[in-house]
Amino acid sequence: MQVALKIWRFDAQKGERALKEYEIDAPGEATLLDCLDIVKDRVDGTLAYRKSCRMMICGSCGMRMDGAAVLACKTRMYEIAEAGHVPVISAMGNLPIVKDLVVDMEPFWGKIRAVSPWLEPGYVDPGEKEHVVAQTRMDVIHKESLCIMCGCCVSECNSMESDPDFLGPAALAKGMRFVGDPRDQATVERLQSYSGEHGIWDCTRCYFCQERCPKGVDPRDAIAKLGAEAMREGIDSDMGAKHAKWFVTSAKTTGWLRETELVPKTQGIAKSMKEVKFAMGLLKKGKVPPPFPPHVAKHVEEARALYDLVKHDGEQGAAGIVQGEKALGRLEHHDDGGEAAERGPYGPGSFVKPYLPGEEESAREV
Amino acid sequence: MNAMHDVVVVGAGCAGMRAAIEAFDTGANVGVVSKLHPTRSHSGAAEGGINAALGNAAEDSPEKHAFDTVKGSDYLGDQDAIEILTNEAPGDIYQLEHWGCVFSRNDEGKLAQRPFGAAGSPRTVYSADITGHVLIHVLYEQTMKRAAQGPLRVYEEFFAWRLAIEDGRCVGVICWDLVNGGLKLVTGRSVVLATGGMGRIYRATTNAYACNGDGMAMALRAGLPLKDMEFMQFHPTTLYPSGVLITEGCRGEGGYLINRDGERFMARYAPNALELASRDVVSRSETTEIEGGRGVNGSVFLDLRHLGAERILTRLPGSRELAMTFAGVDPIYDPIPVRPGAHYHMGGVATDNWGATEVEGLYAAGEVACVSVHGANRLGGNSLMETITFGRRAGQAAAEHALATTPGAVSEAPLADAERDLRALLDRKDGERPWKIRDELGASMLENFGVFRYGERMEKQLGIINGLRERYENVVVEDKGDVFNTDLTGAIELGYMLDLAWAMVQAGIAREESRGAHSRPADFPDRDDERFLKHSITRWTDDGPELSDQEVRMTKWQPEVRSY
Repeated sequence: MQVALKIWRFDAQKGERALKEYEIDAPGEATLLDCLDIVKDRVDGTLAYRKSCRMMICGSCGMRMDGAAVLACKTRMYEIAEAGHVPVISAMGNLPIVKDLVVDMEPFWGKIRAVSPWLEPGYVDPGEKEHVVAQTRMDVIHKESLCIMCGCCVSECNSMESDPDFLGPAALAKGMRFVGDPRDQATVERLQSYSGEHGIWDCTRCYFCQERCPKGVDPRDAIAKLGAEAMREGIDSDMGAKHAKWFVTSAKTTGWLRETELVPKTQGIAKSMKEVKFAMGLLKKGKVPPPFPPHVAKHVEEARALYDLVKHDGEQGAAGIVQGEKALGRLEHHDDGGEAAERGPYGPGSFVKPYLPGEEESAREV
Repeated sequence: MNAMHDVVVVGAGCAGMRAAIEAFDTGANVGVVSKLHPTRSHSGAAEGGINAALGNAAEDSPEKHAFDTVKGSDYLGDQDAIEILTNEAPGDIYQLEHWGCVFSRNDEGKLAQRPFGAAGSPRTVYSADITGHVLIHVLYEQTMKRAAQGPLRVYEEFFAWRLAIEDGRCVGVICWDLVNGGLKLVTGRSVVLATGGMGRIYRATTNAYACNGDGMAMALRAGLPLKDMEFMQFHPTTLYPSGVLITEGCRGEGGYLINRDGERFMARYAPNALELASRDVVSRSETTEIEGGRGVNGSVFLDLRHLGAERILTRLPGSRELAMTFAGVDPIYDPIPVRPGAHYHMGGVATDNWGATEVEGLYAAGEVACVSVHGANRLGGNSLMETITFGRRAGQAAAEHALATTPGAVSEAPLADAERDLRALLDRKDGERPWKIRDELGASMLENFGVFRYGERMEKQLGIINGLRERYENVVVEDKGDVFNTDLTGAIELGYMLDLAWAMVQAGIAREESRGAHSRPADFPDRDDERFLKHSITRWTDDGPELSDQEVRMTKWQPEVRSY
């Protein structure tokens, strides 16, 4: 097939940037990475990108295609080429570019190191053999332990774009990998550390990390679980935690968010006094409802029922959030399976049933 | 910049990081040099599991594990080394678990174990089908922990090019700094090679682009002996067409191998073990089926349909993802097209049971090394175990050596030589680009030095390699810059592979028998213990590789007829 690509080239030594177009002939099964290899071999040997395993496990080849982070080795080009689309390939976002599609990953790894990414065994001696832990308890961190550290989530993180010091989705998912591990004995210290400035409450819940993660890790889900665990441990002094708590209280009592109380409940009375002038301005323009009488939703009992339900589930902390387990198995391919699922594994048009040599056809059971 | 350490580890996969951790814990100042970030290393792509006789799934013992390994090696494995591996494996696994490794659990909450090829008991510890991934991440976690505590430094994206050997002692390694450019000498009183394998010599391989035999080639050129170079393992289930690995765990979980008619053909080749015969046997059977016209597109099929969706989703989710992404096949509904592909090299830098090589101060562990625990054919699940157990031993021995010796003299001469050679390569303006030579090497090795080998085809291959080596003399690097110049490192890697291919084929021609992965059905179809129950040893000379041999170390087991 004929594949055309536009690649953002960057020469760090000269500081020059250029969008260059390449056209190559590639086999039908080629991935984006295969296409880059063909460009490098046959067209321009100076093109730089990282690669290694080409099977979605080493995490080297994160880059952007048409502005969204992808693993080059996972991205099949057939449909794109057939549609006549010319994708724009560029380096990942939120990280400094070294050359072409290669970014400096050191800021990424620095944040991983900042979450103390190793098991803290505490003082309990597991003895000579393994810890005995039920698989169901390990399932809590199944998803987080799939992370290949490719950086696709960090590339897309909106919060990090405005606050480069935000710990970010990959590091927090790594943090959840330990908080959720029953063998780790530093849960409270971790939750305190991750709940501070630039921590879990700085996530804006844009869900870009969830959308772009190529392995189904869903860092946003991990961050939500860290929040749930922090609340359960009573680690809620951060403004973000107070903010979240007020949302809940407000929704429970009146069914609506009471904005005028949100600021003092989050920032404290003293600090919010400074905002009074600004608040009055908002009030005058009709941007916030008058605080008295409190605005009560028509069907407030529904909001309260919802609150009770969430509270019941939330008593289990992270374990109450069930989204995402068995992530890899469900990844992208869900359960619909298309045509194959309709006919089933042995339906009409399926591959023949297996048999042992000499086995009678009538005896062939699966 | 010249950096100084007690121990320098080259390569940061499972063996390298395990060696670095042990060297650090022994009290050494450690530097780790790796051309990739550690977690990008190819150990992370291992899928099915790691073997240790824990006895969690059925009765088992290190002795049974040792016997299975000896038999699997077609009696070429060194039995003292194999016993060390199988005796020390359980302790090493428990330590990984204590470090936080995310292994799968059985109903009792202990480490789960699954059946694997040619194993008499289910002894493969695993984490779904991403065992290498969880291992490499737990080792990196422990590496980061130590780096935060003391003198352990990782030089990421440092491409090791040459060993610095002075007065018969290895004193460091000369590296090309990929990110910033420039040659740097990282010195140590001990050096541990842990650079992995060289599957990229073949066109069809499970191996990553990084697996070019760097360490083996560096050692060969430095005058060290390589052992058992003719033994390249072909894994029976590599995905068509991309060649990526589909784990043996699929068959361990009960998967079938079928030909185009749906026949479970392994019943005709290994009536007892069927799909769980050893890898050399299964790869030969598949090749016979395909050559006999009972395949499709040069492939047979791995059928998991009868396992059902639940088992596939919980035990083999990664394999399903690979099959869906690269072959468009959902194994819940359709069989996966697979064929044999180059996977693991049994041979390598000859070491003793502590990883020590012939040169003082130089150690090796993992796929780059040949202790030998795998002999002529490796059992699935034994290589990850080897990286941990022998990585640990090499790390300890290297640290003890370093702490007991004074630093040797380090001259600037090797660095100056390297600088001059590098400039010569970069300054060449006219010549051939490396990719064509690389592709021709891969295709011809697969054709002439694959699952089955024939005298005349091997001779022909030697001629092809010599021709490619001549062309390589004029290879041209297009990127002349200092920053992330993978055009340069790619050309150097091709040079490594050409040296090693020569050594492999020459050793293959000399071994006039069929043993393990070296099979000569036409001229020497049988094992010949009389003449060839011995290791081949290859050394570099000015005229090319020179062969000799070495005794196999035996303890309890005498060679028997090997069938499955």
